Amino acid sequence: MSTDLTVSGPARRTPAPPGRAPRSGARWHAAKRKRLAFALPAGIFLLVFSFFPLAQLARMSVSDVTARTLNQPWEFVGVDNFVGSAAQGSLFPTLGNTIAFVLIVTIIGLVGGLAAAILLSTSNLLSAFVLGLMVFIWALPPVVNGSVWKFLLGDAGLINSVITGVGLTQDAVPFLYDDRFALLSVAIVNSWAVVPFNALVFRAGILGIPAETFEAARIDGASRWQEIRYMIIPAVRPTTLVLAVLTIVYAFRSFDFIFVMTYGGPGVSTNTLPFLSYLQAFVRFDFGMGAATAVISVLLVLVLAVIYARSVRAEEANS
Amino acid sequence: MAVKSARNSRIRAFSLAGGAIAVSAALALTGCTPTSSGGSAGDSDTITVWHYFSDENQVKVMTDYKDLFEKNNDGVTVENVFVPYDQLNSKLITAVGSKTGPDVVVFNGADASALALGGALAPITEQWGAFADKNQFPEAVVHSLEDDVYAVQGYVNLLGLWYNQDILDEVGVEPPTTMDELNAALATVTAAGKSGITLSGLPQSQGEWQAYPWLTSFGFNYDKPEAAPLEDAFTMIQSWTGSGSLTREAVTWDQTVPFQTWAAGNVAFAQNGNWQLGTARSDADFKYGVVPLPVGDSGKVYLGGEGQSIGAFSANPELAWDYLEQTYFSEEGQAIALSGVGSIPSRLDAASAPEVTEDPILAAFAQSLEQNGANYPSPAVPAVSIADQQLVVGQIWSAVIGGQMTPAEAATKLVTDLEQLLAQ
Repeated sequence: MSTDLTVSGPARRTPAPPGRAPRSGARWHAAKRKRLAFALPAGIFLLVFSFFPLAQLARMSVSDVTARTLNQPWEFVGVDNFVGSAAQGSLFPTLGNTIAFVLIVTIIGLVGGLAAAILLSTSNLLSAFVLGLMVFIWALPPVVNGSVWKFLLGDAGLINSVITGVGLTQDAVPFLYDDRFALLSVAIVNSWAVVPFNALVFRAGILGIPAETFEAARIDGASRWQEIRYMIIPAVRPTTLVLAVLTIVYAFRSFDFIFVMTYGGPGVSTNTLPFLSYLQAFVRFDFGMGAATAVISVLLVLVLAVIYARSVRAEEANS
Repeated sequence: MAVKSARNSRIRAFSLAGGAIAVSAALALTGCTPTSSGGSAGDSDTITVWHYFSDENQVKVMTDYKDLFEKNNDGVTVENVFVPYDQLNSKLITAVGSKTGPDVVVFNGADASALALGGALAPITEQWGAFADKNQFPEAVVHSLEDDVYAVQGYVNLLGLWYNQDILDEVGVEPPTTMDELNAALATVTAAGKSGITLSGLPQSQGEWQAYPWLTSFGFNYDKPEAAPLEDAFTMIQSWTGSGSLTREAVTWDQTVPFQTWAAGNVAFAQNGNWQLGTARSDADFKYGVVPLPVGDSGKVYLGGEGQSIGAFSANPELAWDYLEQTYFSEEGQAIALSGVGSIPSRLDAASAPEVTEDPILAAFAQSLEQNGANYPSPAVPAVSIADQQLVVGQIWSAVIGGQMTPAEAATKLVTDLEQLLAQ
């Protein structure tokens, strides 16, 4: 007996012919149970490793949890942790930093990804090599990536050597230690790390456009810019929406680059919500307050996740 | 027939589900089981030692301790496990929930209270009380909480002012002994096109550790924090960054980077510790020396260093104590740290050895210890506020060096924040 699991929902629910109902009903129930059996391990995994930690996080955010009480019963304190975090004055500036960070990463990540995809949408040896390099960059651990960029952006690093060498400025640019540049620098490095992924996805979308369409456009005298404006951009619009949400979520939860490159400094000028949460929970050992900040992040990401799910569903319906 | 088929399919479905659950559980358990290198293995002949040393010379001391203990105890294995500095405390405290952790832990001594409060350290009151050589150790290196001893420091680390003799000779400057002399020396050195001083401005505990001598030199103390001395200290630091004596890039440096920068040879001074002696010997290709930080009579220099303790869930606490007794707390073990990285022994007999008193570098640190040494952390800071206080001071120290805050703003904010923390 075999069951086609790829059959879509409505098809599976097609009523059985009269007279064969009892037997078909039993078979349908058996098939359903089997499907549930297959889904059970993933469900348990999700429950244990996703829902349980989230529930614990929510509980911790409304409890007094410190190094002393972490392994004891947690006292319920309501919204004290949220209020305390806001009262300390770090929450709202950090929220502002997070929004600026997300905007920079999303804009550069998407525009850079699309530009790279358009440039690499040809099938030749050079584009294959560059694509391979980009996958390598994408696969690099953020800690390694961040350390390399911290070195490159230092006063005596490659970037400043080039800038001062060609005479753009006399003094080194304070990429990571001036509050006007630090957040921007870390955000650009973060964007640089996400461009390869976006480029790969955009490229798949561009390669999906039939070659005949381009040929027809060229016969009609379309320029390269017109091809991009009127063919490529409309074709990748659904992909862009999905990638935008993924990039925003990626930027929103970014922690590693800030940890390695600035540790939130100078002062607190590159603190974002995930990093503030880390400082509260794992440096100050106020796990309750750290959880409260994390819950705010989760809620914001949850909104984006809903948008993502709806956009994916809309795209599937259209296709 | 239909009933049999349904039953068969049900059996198959349950078999599949059971198999899938078993595989999932096996995978999950494989990922969850503590490894021998990551926690207490439960093997009576093996002890794990967690530390955060990445410097080559400091790692060698750990290896020498391992060799020493294994040589003196047949069949015993010591596993040294590196945990990054920023992760060590959180790993120790979160491991308490699963009742795991190392047999021995070597950590920043200032964090002893936080770790003890978190239940990560085992009290060693009994072992310490029965230790024959305990009178060799000054009270300042024994970390206690609520009448229990939790950690002891096998050595003392403190900051001094390293200088590049070649640069000072070139510009005709003597190693400074007062703050005025230091400021004059920095001005002369900078005018000659050299860099003045390196230090760490990282916005965390390392920044606070480095800031403390300069803040106290203007009369600041944690017993009664006042804005005026802080503002004076911050004004001086910003005069250094303004003149180019100190690079603002220091806000991204931990304590290792500024010393390596100084050791490269183009910087006159480095505010750094005695533990860098091994690095200076191996990397500095110029004549160098150390003088106490010129912080005057009111200035204080923290007596820091790593605390050594037994993990709360050590599988073999007796062997762990033997390890501490025979390495960190023994005269022989302290001599290893002294020769390897220049750590000043905490034992009185080891500290009075000719290797310390006749070495000009270590003698300068010993002089600073005697004149300006202060408990780390300050006893005025409540145990529950130590982590907060270090972070807050480190962040403001970073903001001052980075030019993000004016001295007056920084001083006012720091006093406001500290008053809340000290009142807890």
